[in-house]
Amino acid sequence: MTLMLIIVFAISLIYLSVTERFRIYAGLVGLQGLLLFGISFMQLDRITLATVLFVTIETLLFKVIIVPYLLFNVIRKTGVARVHEKALPSFYSLLMVTLGLLLSIVVSFSMNATPYNLMFFIVSFFAIYTGLFLIISHRKIFSHLIGFLVIENAVLLLSLAIGSEIPMLINLGILLDIFVSVLILGIFVMRLRQQTDDLTILKDD
Amino acid sequence: MTEAAYIFILFFAVSLALGLLVGLIHSKALARTLASFYVLVHIAFTVYCWMHRGETVLDYFTFDTLGLLLQSVLSILTVTTVFHGFIYVSNDSPRTYAIYHAALIALIASMTGAYFANGMTTVWIFVEATTLSVAALIYHDRTAMALEATWKYVFVCSVGIALAYIGILFLGFTVRDARLLHLSFSSITEIAKLANPLYLKIAFVFVLVGYSTKMGLFPMHTVTVDAHTVAPPPISAFISTTLMNVGFLAIFRIYALFSATPILPFMNHVLLLSGFLSLLISAGYMLKAKHNKRMLAYSSLENMGIVAIALGMGGIGYYAAILHIILHSFAKAGLFYQMGQSYKIMGTYNLDESGNYMNLYPAGATALLLGLVCITAIPPSGMFISELLMFKAMVANGNYLYMAVAALLLCFVLYALLTRVLHIVFSEPRTQSLKPREKVNPWQSVSQFVLFGIVILICFTQPAFFRELINDIIQNLPK
Repeated sequence: MTLMLIIVFAISLIYLSVTERFRIYAGLVGLQGLLLFGISFMQLDRITLATVLFVTIETLLFKVIIVPYLLFNVIRKTGVARVHEKALPSFYSLLMVTLGLLLSIVVSFSMNATPYNLMFFIVSFFAIYTGLFLIISHRKIFSHLIGFLVIENAVLLLSLAIGSEIPMLINLGILLDIFVSVLILGIFVMRLRQQTDDLTILKDD
Repeated sequence: MTEAAYIFILFFAVSLALGLLVGLIHSKALARTLASFYVLVHIAFTVYCWMHRGETVLDYFTFDTLGLLLQSVLSILTVTTVFHGFIYVSNDSPRTYAIYHAALIALIASMTGAYFANGMTTVWIFVEATTLSVAALIYHDRTAMALEATWKYVFVCSVGIALAYIGILFLGFTVRDARLLHLSFSSITEIAKLANPLYLKIAFVFVLVGYSTKMGLFPMHTVTVDAHTVAPPPISAFISTTLMNVGFLAIFRIYALFSATPILPFMNHVLLLSGFLSLLISAGYMLKAKHNKRMLAYSSLENMGIVAIALGMGGIGYYAAILHIILHSFAKAGLFYQMGQSYKIMGTYNLDESGNYMNLYPAGATALLLGLVCITAIPPSGMFISELLMFKAMVANGNYLYMAVAALLLCFVLYALLTRVLHIVFSEPRTQSLKPREKVNPWQSVSQFVLFGIVILICFTQPAFFRELINDIIQNLPK
């Protein structure tokens, strides 16, 4: 079951890299949160109230409800619906992410990981690649935010590969990161939209 | 709990309480009083930490020599930064005045936590906290440029910190036990010796790339350059010194822990590559930059490049790296404070609109010239000693090609800085600034002379205790 959820997560990454509508971006980020909730839940060795509560808050509450809600809110308030017209065409994006997937597979195999961890590694590396690809290939800052959230999801997926019990300190760290990404960046996206959509004011000359 | 643990908790409780009080009650007088009080608290805490050197508190923090040394630099620069901050925001509304000081207190407390953190995860959390607090300070002027720089800073730092976290996770894979994942530095030493070198290499690269956002080193240097351009000058001084020291500390700690493993040559090559590319980029862009603060930002990139190269050289280079990072903190902070004053006098940061500074404000111009001597490592600057030691390490290793390339790139940097600063001080402006000019009391420049004085003093004499401290930091590194 875990394996299946990870594969669906990988498919969502491919879809994310070729789609052009921001509403789909937000929906896919929510779906990834749901998949991570499922994976986290299945990774739990001991089911205690504290661990269930933390996993639920971290994934279900933040990644499935709050983050997509704020993203949809940003889309509604800024009125930006699609990626930049000069963004890389979907076909080339697909080629690039396929290359990324192959690269992730090669790197993961070279790490002599256990068969169980291998899939976590492949998809985590692929998610990092896709996140960075979204940031580099797109001009609009909303796409950058999505790229960052995908990298955050990759971090969580990678941390799940380590063990069933993630220490509280790491959980707090991840929550702090989500706080930064959603609240701070969300606010700035809206403020930036009012003034400029391109980050080109600061120059050397 | 020990007494030190109580004091440690008390320090952060006081920081939190003062930060909240200043931030919530929008009163300039209160903010000024509490910020001044916090400076005293910080100094007292630093002294207390020195008295308990080597002690571990609450499992997650240790008062080790490197942390103490950087904390002392922070304490000194806190005095000057708070002082220059009072002047910079004196005309602000009570609200922005309060937010500025609340964020400043949060930033100082976060950096203190990062210096003393004894585990990778703890460092990571405090680094994240510095990003949040410094964002409010970069955005202080509420301009479009400030907004863009803040966005870039928060965004790229968050991505960088996420990448650093992936590096930490790879260390976790070597442990195979999630309970050890708070990754105290003492446990990493043991883990690293048994670990798969490939995992360690990946962990190091991710940590280096991730924390290079904070250290202002290639490849994630761009955000700090933009942040410097728009942040209030006292905050630029902090970003360029004590905050870069946080990034250096995180990278140095991992380097020191992995130095006993077979990946040492790999780490050295990566550091050299990053250092030389930082030098190359800074040399190129410094010749192009038309913004005075941006020029200093590229100078910070150059100096962090020197630190990375010195570290990558090993041997006496380790000593040079630590010495350089400390002296750079004093020299660069002084220069940024001076840039803030020059803006008041000339009404611009634009190089073409700047000029005739010696006639307009002789005390400031003298400080600027002194700062130029310090930062370009021209004797009697103490940074001359650290750069000389770096070249000595290159000769000792027989890396003559590296030496030639570094010398050539430093010549470009020297040329760029000299021509630009001398233009500001002695030449007439190429175009006139339209912004109003203000006057500055020469007493406000005293702190810069003190900071440059420290840098110059180190050129002539390095106190025995100071040498011992640096040697203590590098004693476990390979000879």
